[in-house]
Amino acid sequence: MHGVQETSRNDELPTEGNAKVTGAAVYTWDTALPRMLHGKLLRSPLPHARIRSIDTTEALAILGVVCIVTGDDVAPLAEQFYGVGLRDQPVIALDRVRFVGDPVAAIVAVDEATAFRAAQAIKVDYEPLPPLMTVEDALADDAPALFDGPTPGIPIPVGKGWSSVADPVRNVLCEYNFGYGDATAILDASDQVFTDTFAVTRINHFHLEPHVNIAHWNDGRLEMWSCNQDPFVIRGDIARIFGLPLHRVRIHTPLVGGGFGGKSYCKMEPLVALMARKAGAPVRLALSMDESILTLVKHPGRLTLTTGVDREGRLTARRADIVLDGGAYSDASALVAVKTGFRVGGGYHWQAIASRARIVRTTTVPSGSFRGFGGTQASFASERQIDLIARRLGEDPLTFRMRNLLDVDQPFAPNERGMDSDLSAGLQDVAERIGYSSKRQQGRGIGFAVGLKDAGGTGNHAQALVRVTQDGEVMVSAAVVDVGQGAASALCRIATDVLGLPLANATYAPIDTDHSPPDNGTHVSCGTLVTGRAIEQAAAEVRKQIETFAAERLDCDVSEIVLEGWTVRRGNVVHPLTPMVRKYYGGIGWEFIGRGAFKEPYDPDTPMGARNISWMPCWSVAEVSVDDETGRVTLHRLIVSADPGRALSREACHGQIEGAAMQALGQAMFEELRYRGAEPENATPLTYRVPKVRDLPAHFESVVAEHGMGFGPGGVKGIGEAGMLGIAAAIANAIQDATGASLTTMPFTPEKVLDALDQLRHVGDVPVVERS
Amino acid sequence: MKSMTLSLTINGALRHCEVASSTVLADVLRDTFGLQGCKVACDQGVCGACTVLVDGEPVAACATFAFVVDGRSIMTVEGLAQNGVLHAVQTSFLENSAFQCGFCTSGMILSIVALLRAHPEPDEETIRDWLGGNVCRCTGYGPIVEAVRRVIPAHALEHA
Repeated sequence: MHGVQETSRNDELPTEGNAKVTGAAVYTWDTALPRMLHGKLLRSPLPHARIRSIDTTEALAILGVVCIVTGDDVAPLAEQFYGVGLRDQPVIALDRVRFVGDPVAAIVAVDEATAFRAAQAIKVDYEPLPPLMTVEDALADDAPALFDGPTPGIPIPVGKGWSSVADPVRNVLCEYNFGYGDATAILDASDQVFTDTFAVTRINHFHLEPHVNIAHWNDGRLEMWSCNQDPFVIRGDIARIFGLPLHRVRIHTPLVGGGFGGKSYCKMEPLVALMARKAGAPVRLALSMDESILTLVKHPGRLTLTTGVDREGRLTARRADIVLDGGAYSDASALVAVKTGFRVGGGYHWQAIASRARIVRTTTVPSGSFRGFGGTQASFASERQIDLIARRLGEDPLTFRMRNLLDVDQPFAPNERGMDSDLSAGLQDVAERIGYSSKRQQGRGIGFAVGLKDAGGTGNHAQALVRVTQDGEVMVSAAVVDVGQGAASALCRIATDVLGLPLANATYAPIDTDHSPPDNGTHVSCGTLVTGRAIEQAAAEVRKQIETFAAERLDCDVSEIVLEGWTVRRGNVVHPLTPMVRKYYGGIGWEFIGRGAFKEPYDPDTPMGARNISWMPCWSVAEVSVDDETGRVTLHRLIVSADPGRALSREACHGQIEGAAMQALGQAMFEELRYRGAEPENATPLTYRVPKVRDLPAHFESVVAEHGMGFGPGGVKGIGEAGMLGIAAAIANAIQDATGASLTTMPFTPEKVLDALDQLRHVGDVPVVERS
Repeated sequence: MKSMTLSLTINGALRHCEVASSTVLADVLRDTFGLQGCKVACDQGVCGACTVLVDGEPVAACATFAFVVDGRSIMTVEGLAQNGVLHAVQTSFLENSAFQCGFCTSGMILSIVALLRAHPEPDEETIRDWLGGNVCRCTGYGPIVEAVRRVIPAHALEHA
């Protein structure tokens, strides 16, 4: 097997970059078909209502309106619902709406303006039902049920130590319990036990390219151009909903203008397919950014952690009660619940864990995947509590962490893969970078966090093709969607490194489900790990084909052949490959085609039903000061470190870490999608505040810490979500270090900081740790 | 709807088009002239993705009526490279990995071109002021600021 070679420190320019700086890059947004019509959606103004009737007469009479799709068009389909595991979201509202923004009617017209006018002319007769805006509303004794029957589909299958159940009680979508050891007994026997509750808030992905899809039916076959980052997932969903064989659905995935989880799993793709089928012409549905904000959010929630410590300051056991607000429909909620419950122990050694994670349904925007998938929620609560405990014990939070972190190769949970990063070394490094042992500047506080999540997915699989022409040009085909993370370059590099050819020779093939080898979707930082393994294998197979071909031509044993660039050497004689191939295959030439596949095998003894492919830590340290009159927090320094195993491109790794950390900084400091009563309060790009260049901390440093233990080709592992993990906790820990004030609810607005300072004056709960 | 004929200089060439009074500049550039580097994201003039230069000044093309720019000179990202040679800001974006998904990139680059015209050697504060209206959700802004810093000497020479 030919391994991947040492990365050059002078990264070559990304192969796909040029078009993005000249305006030539084509996204789904820019795609157009001849005779293409345009769609607009009419959305519910009410959070919860029964639809008595929809009158489209007036709208259909408007010049240029082609057709209108409503729940009546969905009823005859083979299936009406989508979602991950649990499927409860209708293609379009059937008889009921469940959040402000729930699509009720889809208009197809000659242009968007006409469709928009037609939407205003549709009359919907609603019978209002009680809104359930919060988890408390939904769990109240007198709350109405948001859904009538049991949820279709199955809850996420899990492995050893888990129980999983759908619809345990009214308005709870699912409940997962995970654990090992006897948490109750160990907590009872612990020297000290602490219980704290933390709250995380609802944020939106705010990808700049809003959701956009173009659908076109031809001879009973659907062709679609989609911004979705999971082409094979939506192919499957559409085939199931329309009762079609998979190969009657073809998905193209052009460049994606940002996703962060907001474009993963099925969204409005089946609806656009239905609109195009009814219209009998290609239809483009492009949401406005307001609508994208009302399409998916990150789960808000409440996490209560009970954690024991022994006399030596070692963590013993943790019990977690996690309640996530799933919003109106399941989307990927079941998966997020599983992952939050699994990850809540963080990177520490435990004798026992007992976590319960529930998804509560409310009449708000559906919650789903968002860069980190429950990992940010879990690491905020976990890393805040670790700090609180250290301070209560009068211990230095860094020392306390160092004592309890998992060692290299130590499993995260029984039967899990061992830790493939040195958690202590990573933490020590950021502590040194910020000068933790030197004297603190007056009024400044420093806070740490060690975020951790599993990466690469559970039992994930991918296939890949690597094709090499007679001139040594390489085409890499896989289904990893380039959402800006540099997947195309990274995957091409894996192939060219195995082949010993320059990266510039390689092209990443456009994604098209008719031709691209399938995978699970672009998630959980699995591109370089899972697909990377498949590509490495495919490239090695091609290499073998080339060597075998050369050996046959030179009439020698293959072991005598050495591939060197696009030549073969036998002994001291070098033979160029191009003429050799042309001489044998003729003028058109030939392609050597290698196939590769990877699947993490099923293993019922592991917690997830398959071992996790790698571990993704994030070591962060923040330095803040707080104005105690205004409550304003100034973030002076933020240092964030993550481990890609081995960097395929250091620049791309820095980009992933910093981009994720900035998103986490937004959520920590100010970002939040709020409701005022039943109304979304700031669901517009004008009022929804995301980080801008002014929010860059005065010192913002990312560290690419190559620990070299990754499971992917040449020791690589994914890094895309790492930078989200623990940033909010590090900032809150720094606020506490500076002032003693304890923040347990994001975002850390001046109001919350002042409240926490007030509380400190009245209660004096947590002392500030003195350090010499 | 009333239509009108406009004369615009787009990337140095005089162009004419017929538009409705309600048509915005972004639609003229994208749909009439095929200049799809002008990306419409928020469509409310707050994210900066659709930034183009009108007589050298950055404007949000999604929130500018086309008739307002009649007779004026418009520069889009497609007009920056000269004879196949990238503009210094484009090169700096490539060299500093100042983009990921690329959807904000055209607007970001044009804002920086305008910035460097007004302030050939901007300090940190000036850079942050000028880029305050451009949202990038991918990079965390660090590499973009770095791309501006690194282009400064080269750009300053160009203007010498």
